[in-house]
Amino acid sequence: MNLLESIRVAIESIRSNLLRSILTTIGIVIGIAAVIAIVAIGQGGEATLMGEMEKIGSNLFMVHIDWKREEPQTGTEFLLEDVQAIKSQVPEIKYLAPYAYNYDSIRGTKKNKQAQIIGTMPDHAQMGNLEMLQGRFFTNEDIQGRRRIVALDEALAEELFGNTDVIGKQVVVQGNSLLVCGVIKEEESFLNMEDSKSIYVPIRVWMDIYPDGFIQSLQGSTLEHEQVETAMNKSVTIMERRHQAKNVYAGTTMAQQMEIASKVTSVLTLIVSAIAGISLLVGGIGVMNIMLVSVTERTREIGLRMALGARRRDILIQFLIEAMVLCIIGGIIGTILGVGGAWFIAKLAKWPPLISWSTILMAFAFSAGIGILFGLLPASKASKLDPIEALRHD
Amino acid sequence: MIKVVNLSKTYRPESNPVYALRGISAHILPGEYIAVMGPSGSGKSTLMNLLGCLDTPTGGSYYLDGQEVSQLEADQLALVRNQKIGFVFQNFNLLPRMTAQRNVELPMIYAGLPTQKRQERAAEALEKVGMANRSDHHPNELSGGQNQRVAIARALVNAPAILLADEPTGNLDSKTSSEIMTLFDDLHREGVTIILVTHERDIALHSERILHFRDGRLEKEENLLSTPSRRDDEQ
Repeated sequence: MNLLESIRVAIESIRSNLLRSILTTIGIVIGIAAVIAIVAIGQGGEATLMGEMEKIGSNLFMVHIDWKREEPQTGTEFLLEDVQAIKSQVPEIKYLAPYAYNYDSIRGTKKNKQAQIIGTMPDHAQMGNLEMLQGRFFTNEDIQGRRRIVALDEALAEELFGNTDVIGKQVVVQGNSLLVCGVIKEEESFLNMEDSKSIYVPIRVWMDIYPDGFIQSLQGSTLEHEQVETAMNKSVTIMERRHQAKNVYAGTTMAQQMEIASKVTSVLTLIVSAIAGISLLVGGIGVMNIMLVSVTERTREIGLRMALGARRRDILIQFLIEAMVLCIIGGIIGTILGVGGAWFIAKLAKWPPLISWSTILMAFAFSAGIGILFGLLPASKASKLDPIEALRHD
Repeated sequence: MIKVVNLSKTYRPESNPVYALRGISAHILPGEYIAVMGPSGSGKSTLMNLLGCLDTPTGGSYYLDGQEVSQLEADQLALVRNQKIGFVFQNFNLLPRMTAQRNVELPMIYAGLPTQKRQERAAEALEKVGMANRSDHHPNELSGGQNQRVAIARALVNAPAILLADEPTGNLDSKTSSEIMTLFDDLHREGVTIILVTHERDIALHSERILHFRDGRLEKEENLLSTPSRRDDEQ
């Protein structure tokens, strides 16, 4: 008996018990739909996250205090002079800026607000591709001249003053009044889940405001993505040499962080889809159950087919294919529902789902596999029937 | 054509043996029309199962169409059933979801014939039993007699060496029964070898030779050809 004929027989038999077949496949439908939706959302989220991080820059790196170090920071680990020294000794580095921050209260004309007070250099704006809505970011001359100016986020300007037209206006931090020189355009990004509320202060002014504060890290970028590792390692070495300190500094690249993030999201997706996969298993058992009923009901048919020349393997294949067709139909419906569900959830979560052909193919293969796995017992039971007994069965 | 030598079948030979057949020897020629009669438990069903290659004997040999088939494996027996035996059952055993045409195609599916050839031959077979105009009907849309005609077409479609009919008129009224028996008579005239199991003497009288069974033995053979006027006597 050829394959096409087996499929035809399978469909005829499924059609003749339509309601029962539909109920049987629901388990498979739900399982496949859940796996497809979860994988699509997971992969979509991961792709979006990666895209955002890529946008920030895969050529970014950071030199910071080694997280394994237990002594508290003294404040002398990073000095402003280090920035210039590293820049002049590492040609791969395009931008390098110190990074110091404090979470503090800031006053505008309208109200007070808690925000990140970041002390840095103009390179920070360059490597972060900060776009100005109004005015300008501060320059190296501003730093040299210790000019008390700040650039702030669009959202923060809105909250402090009620509008973004705030160039020349005053903000007060720790009793120091600072003039707004620029407003930074808000970037549409899914990583900015909450409004970023930061003001950027020239590093020397920041140090004046917070005499006990210190630079937490150096952040830099290279021209080429391939150079980032070298630039980071050289920077760490220079820092160790300049401060005669071993095991104090460490470096991290954005690429490494992306890798970690990607690993975390894929493991999460895997875990959740494995849980969803359990419903596939339950669905498979349902299919097995109904196939066993079907074999019993069709004992005479099996006997007749054997009398007419069906070999045991013809019967085995017929019932296996019937279980497979049942599961694949469930798989197709489940895929449609899963894709729809992924779109729906993604719409709420505001990131595009990623439905790859490989996911759909996998779901397809998986449901067929479940058909074979759970069809095997009923099919082998059918194929082992004695034709004489089967023909006599009522 | 068919030769059985000392054919026996014992169920549960170790513990509690049941001797269903106790050494049967018979010879059936091509084109012969045989009836098998006997009370229940006489071994006639066992004989039909063995002759139909649905079961294997525990002793003796069975030559079908020149081939010794008594010791074949399950798959080889399936092939023999497919190619050399046509079954006609008391309860027709048609598949209810399939049309008459598809039911007749069934043996050819297992013979591996291509679709077009199957359809042609199924149509021919239905024509032969007078069911050509009902080929797209399902069994539940046909009468008992019509269903048995379809079943006979299915039995004939692979041009088997023998047609095994087990109480073919058992579920039919007398008028339909006689129509079906006329069909068997026609097939016999065309040269089909027929073995018919029945417990009704007037059905058995359509044959050329009646084999009477009792207690697993061939009790006696009744040759009807020697009494040419037999049908007139009965009717």
